[in-house]
Amino acid sequence: MDSKEVLMLKRALERQKKARQQAEKILEEKSKELYDVSHHLKETNNRLENFLNEKTAELDGVFINIIDPYVVMDMQFNVINMNISAKEFLGYDHTIENLNLANIVHKDYIKYTVESFASLKKVGILKNYHAKIITKDKSEKYVQINSSLIYDKNKKPIAAQGIIRDITQETEIKHLLSEQKTQLDIIVENSPLSIVLTENGKIVKANQTFIKLIGYSEAELKKLSVKDISAPEDIDASIELMDKMNTNQLDNFTIIKKYIRKDKTTLLAKTSVNAYKKENGEIAYQIAMIEDITEQRNLELQKEKLLKELEYSNKGLQEYAHIVSHDLKSPLRSISALATWLNEDYKDILDDNGKTNLTLMQEKVEAMDKLIDGILKYSTIKSDNLDNTLVDVNTVIDDITSIIYIPDHVEVIIKNKLPTIMADKTKIHQLFQNFISNAVVHIKKEKGIVEIDCEDKKKYWQFSIKDNGVGIPKEYHKKIFEIFQSIGSNERSTGIGLSIVKKIVQLYEGNVWLSSELNIGTTFYFTLKK
Amino acid sequence: MNILFIEDDAIETMKLNRTVSKFQLKHKITEAKNGEEALAILNSKNSLPDIILLDLNMPRMSGIEFLKILKNHDTLKYLPTIILTTSENRADLLECYKIGIAGYIIKPLKYEDYEEKLRTVLQYWTINELIKG
Repeated sequence: MDSKEVLMLKRALERQKKARQQAEKILEEKSKELYDVSHHLKETNNRLENFLNEKTAELDGVFINIIDPYVVMDMQFNVINMNISAKEFLGYDHTIENLNLANIVHKDYIKYTVESFASLKKVGILKNYHAKIITKDKSEKYVQINSSLIYDKNKKPIAAQGIIRDITQETEIKHLLSEQKTQLDIIVENSPLSIVLTENGKIVKANQTFIKLIGYSEAELKKLSVKDISAPEDIDASIELMDKMNTNQLDNFTIIKKYIRKDKTTLLAKTSVNAYKKENGEIAYQIAMIEDITEQRNLELQKEKLLKELEYSNKGLQEYAHIVSHDLKSPLRSISALATWLNEDYKDILDDNGKTNLTLMQEKVEAMDKLIDGILKYSTIKSDNLDNTLVDVNTVIDDITSIIYIPDHVEVIIKNKLPTIMADKTKIHQLFQNFISNAVVHIKKEKGIVEIDCEDKKKYWQFSIKDNGVGIPKEYHKKIFEIFQSIGSNERSTGIGLSIVKKIVQLYEGNVWLSSELNIGTTFYFTLKK
Repeated sequence: MNILFIEDDAIETMKLNRTVSKFQLKHKITEAKNGEEALAILNSKNSLPDIILLDLNMPRMSGIEFLKILKNHDTLKYLPTIILTTSENRADLLECYKIGIAGYIIKPLKYEDYEEKLRTVLQYWTINELIKG
């Protein structure tokens, strides 16, 4: 080998050596780098691990310390985890017994729950799920749940977690409120009174009663103001009162005013308006209660008219009674005079039969005269012309016994001293005279006794007139108080006396009745209010 | 006595005349069928009656209307006026007393009673001192 060759080899060797040295250096550098990285990685890893631990611990703490119940369940509703609050709320502990949440949902909410879960699976989160559940102690609770899905590394949902909020009380209050609102609505809508809520004269709300009354729909009413449905003649008065209310001079007022219906007819209504004030004292609403008094008013007017007519016709009747009685009595007087003159002037010509007929004629005339008197008296007994004074009944009886015809065998006795009463003297006289004159003529016994007595019954006087006469059969006890009903065969009886008695007694809010036994006697009783 | 008898009913007039003649009383009776006729007689300047017997219910001018006019008259108001009526209406009685009367006699049903009442009335006025117009 030549030196050239050797030199070449040497150079090559030299190059190789240099390259190896370079490679070694690179390797050494790289190795150090690697060591550094590895060391760094180890550090990072450690830090991460710590961090993870920290976070896990932190989460555990949060999980346990969440105040609201928190539950994690698998996709079949089985509870995997729950916090203390959840255990307390639901009454179940998943570590003791299996708990499937589907089992505690109230049956009314099953369908909704299935739908909600489907939505959760699709979207991943579910907000505002509301349901009723039954806790272990069988109590029903309303819950609101916000939940989300938990996925594995393959993005496959494996569980769902949710925070439960107990809204039982809230819901119950809500239900209660809505129930109360419904009840209130029922009251308002079905009230016989129309109720209208207004704000600054604009109609805000009206109940059905008012809608029916006024003929506008609710929607139409909301576009109207009170003024639009009020009769023009009443607006000024309304505004004045409303102004007073707005300036706090009035809290409420009542006005009788006319409203105009949609069909332009009017109605008269009693309207009571109350102000509803805000806390600052400003008026928020006016509440008007409207009562349709059209018919009532019409009835009142009708009643007034009728009363006037009645008064007029009553007065007319009384006058009429007097005139008729006068016009009937005058000819009777003439007939009586003519019969008397026939008897006087032709007594030599008349035979007994003729004379008897003339006497009978006189008797009939007399009976008719009495009848007319009775009718007149009966028709003029009125409460409005009572002249009440203190009347000593003893004196009245004395007066009567000195005026009327009393058969010799009859005696009228006052049993106990009679009271002095507050009454119309003429009426009391009429009253006793009817009883006494009735009693004295119906006694066939050898010694007739008519006994007058009185009992103080606190609120009224009870008088009695007892005789030992023929008595009155039971079936007539009612009938004898009816006008024109005479039961006796007595020609002098007109059948008016006892109906006059009844009318007078009624004027003093009393009663009249009798007890009677045939051939033993009759006792008439009557009461007069003190 | 001069009596002005104001009465529309013929039989009533007969009753008075018969009573007067039966007791042979010497009274001069002037008849008037109603208030208007009576006023005409009173205003005719002839001698005035001593008393007036006045019925209440009469056509045209009633007794009360006549009485009011009479009692409003300056001189005629002094004439004693006795009401002779069938009316027992208390309102009439009160009204008459209010206007001014010398008596209020209710015509009884029986003629005998009438005779008695009228005889008494006339007797009373006969013994009474009269103005004699």
